[in-house]
Amino acid sequence: MASATIAPALKQPAWTNDRNVLRVLAIVFVVFVYVLPLIDDSTKTMDFMTKAMIYVFLGMGLNVVVGYAGLLDLGYIAFYAIGAYTCGILTQAFHIPQWAAVPGVVVACIIAGIIIGGPTLRLRSDYLAIVTLGFGEIIRVTARNLTIDAPDGSPMVRGPSGMANIEQWSFGGWSFTDGLNIGGMFIREQVIFYYFVTTIALVLGVFGISRLANGRLGRAWKAVRDDEDAAEAMGINTYTTKITAYIIGAVWAGLAGQLSATQQLSIAPTSFEFLFSALILMAVVIGGMGSTPGVVLGAMFVSLVPNLLRNYEWAENRYLYFGILLVVVMLFRPKGFWPATDILPWSSEKIHKWLTARKAAKAGKDLIATEEDTYE
Amino acid sequence: MSETPRDTLLEVRDLVLRFGGVVAVDGLNMSVHAGEIVSVIGPNGAGKTSAFNCISGFYRANSGSIRFLGQSILRRQPSTITKMGMARTFQNLRLFKEMSILDNVKTGAHYRMKQHWFDALLHTPAYGKSERECEDDARYWLDFVGFKGDTSMYVTALPYGEQRRVEIARALMTKPRVLMLDEPAAGLNHSEKQGLIELIRRIQALGISIVLIEHDMGLVMDISERIIVLNYGKEIADGTPDEIRNDPLVVEAYLGTDEDEEDAE
Ligand SMILES: Nc1ncnc2c1ncn2[C@@H]1O[C@H](COP(=O)(O)OP(=O)(O)OP(=O)(O)O)[C@@H](O)[C@H]1O
Ligand SMILES: [Mg+2]
Repeated sequence: MASATIAPALKQPAWTNDRNVLRVLAIVFVVFVYVLPLIDDSTKTMDFMTKAMIYVFLGMGLNVVVGYAGLLDLGYIAFYAIGAYTCGILTQAFHIPQWAAVPGVVVACIIAGIIIGGPTLRLRSDYLAIVTLGFGEIIRVTARNLTIDAPDGSPMVRGPSGMANIEQWSFGGWSFTDGLNIGGMFIREQVIFYYFVTTIALVLGVFGISRLANGRLGRAWKAVRDDEDAAEAMGINTYTTKITAYIIGAVWAGLAGQLSATQQLSIAPTSFEFLFSALILMAVVIGGMGSTPGVVLGAMFVSLVPNLLRNYEWAENRYLYFGILLVVVMLFRPKGFWPATDILPWSSEKIHKWLTARKAAKAGKDLIATEEDTYE
Repeated sequence: MSETPRDTLLEVRDLVLRFGGVVAVDGLNMSVHAGEIVSVIGPNGAGKTSAFNCISGFYRANSGSIRFLGQSILRRQPSTITKMGMARTFQNLRLFKEMSILDNVKTGAHYRMKQHWFDALLHTPAYGKSERECEDDARYWLDFVGFKGDTSMYVTALPYGEQRRVEIARALMTKPRVLMLDEPAAGLNHSEKQGLIELIRRIQALGISIVLIEHDMGLVMDISERIIVLNYGKEIADGTPDEIRNDPLVVEAYLGTDEDEEDAE
């Protein structure tokens, strides 16, 4: 009898509709990031906001692997390193513009993704964690010892010193370094770069990934994550499904690596340490695995907070605090700050119940009882 | 019924499956014809689920042959076997816990949806069309199994009996020729069981063959056209409900103890 009752479709006022609230929040966020340079275009702000948007892009890429497909990747930054080095080497060795290196970055990451994911994704996911951890270290150590000379004999990749003089993005004759004149207002390189990164992070990262997640492939990822055998029984080839998630994650990381290399205009192998992989993973986990708004917030958090705390002495040990925070979040919100199963981070169910209860009280109806067994 | 010659869809010969020393399935022979309801019964640990797992590709049989629609599927992957037209449910409900009811059912159309990843990325017309068709299909099957309610809820919000229905809808979504149900009545109350019997008959009416593992004798005797009895991995009987009911071997191995249990209730 209890099984026969199902939640009645409740008509609510539009403002309480969680989806509408989410839409408004998304619009506020997008407007904020685009208007920001008009308020504050200082080098410092632009610098760390650009970095934050790169983190968002990276976080969304890792979200595919960890959040949707449920594969634990502990060496995600390896692909970021591969992307950075590939674009650096291609542009310097062949004197091609930065955009022409994009296909090279994509192909390099696909190949690396297949080499690492191909054999390990046939195994259960614990093995993947170990292999990716090792892979991350191998790439870091390789990068530190890598020396390649340009075709003209000058040093190009210089071991621990990495690469210098990375090409800025240029299209036709115009480069970001030239700045831009719009209606008498001069926009300088950094601001253009910020807009460039923000647009890529939002379009390809945030909207692109969430669209993928809502389609046929995204459903297959989630099915594999929730129950691999049941997914197979639904006619989903779990191996190819996992490998597509892994490759998409790799490509997104590679592109983020290229963006980062062109932000710094140099590549330093020291930036590819395990801590960075852990940080992006933390962004996904504390934000909410598989949750787009969660991961965006998580990525902003792990990139901006250390920057904001830079001037305080007690913040020396910020990663220790991050560790503690991670433990606390896992204890109290194991699905992250903004779980993928909730439309809004605060308990929408409670609000929902409260509203119906109030309405019922007004109407003098005894709706509360049925509500109770609906949600059990 | 038996006069009409019916196509054999699934044919299992001398199937053997071992787990170390345990012989879970010991020389199973069975065939499933188009449009019939076959039950597989036997005491706990008789090897029923193991046999299902071999047929649906989850376990590799040690020897024997399994032919489905004229092809050997002994070494095929489970997803390939599903695409060929065999669907199954699991003994312990295995829905996708962090997906909505609708999305759970939609996964069943995965292999036949005409949608590439770039369609989803760019929201091309093909994306809209395939998603709409898939959703219509999913709603059709949810309606078919008698699910009425909010399909955007997470499956875990549903009571057990409803989850069972959703799992059957999800299996039907793969457009099977043969549907294998592993103890679909477990945990259901009396009226839900009646609903299940009626649902199984309606699935059969669509021309889908059903292989059923079930402990509920009343239900099995009621709807099966043929019953296969397993005990310790061995097949001890194969016949109509009447034949099985009167088979001394079966009564000794299975029905006797089961009736005792029912008396005790
Ligand atoms: N993965 C496994 N590894 C080892 N032994 C197994 C495995 N799966 C099943 N078995 C063994 O095989 C035998 C048959 O099990 P199976 O689950 O097929 O029985 P069943 O007929 O489905 O029983 P029930 O009615 O309880 O579901 C049992 O002895 C069981 O312990
Ligand atoms: Mg079983």
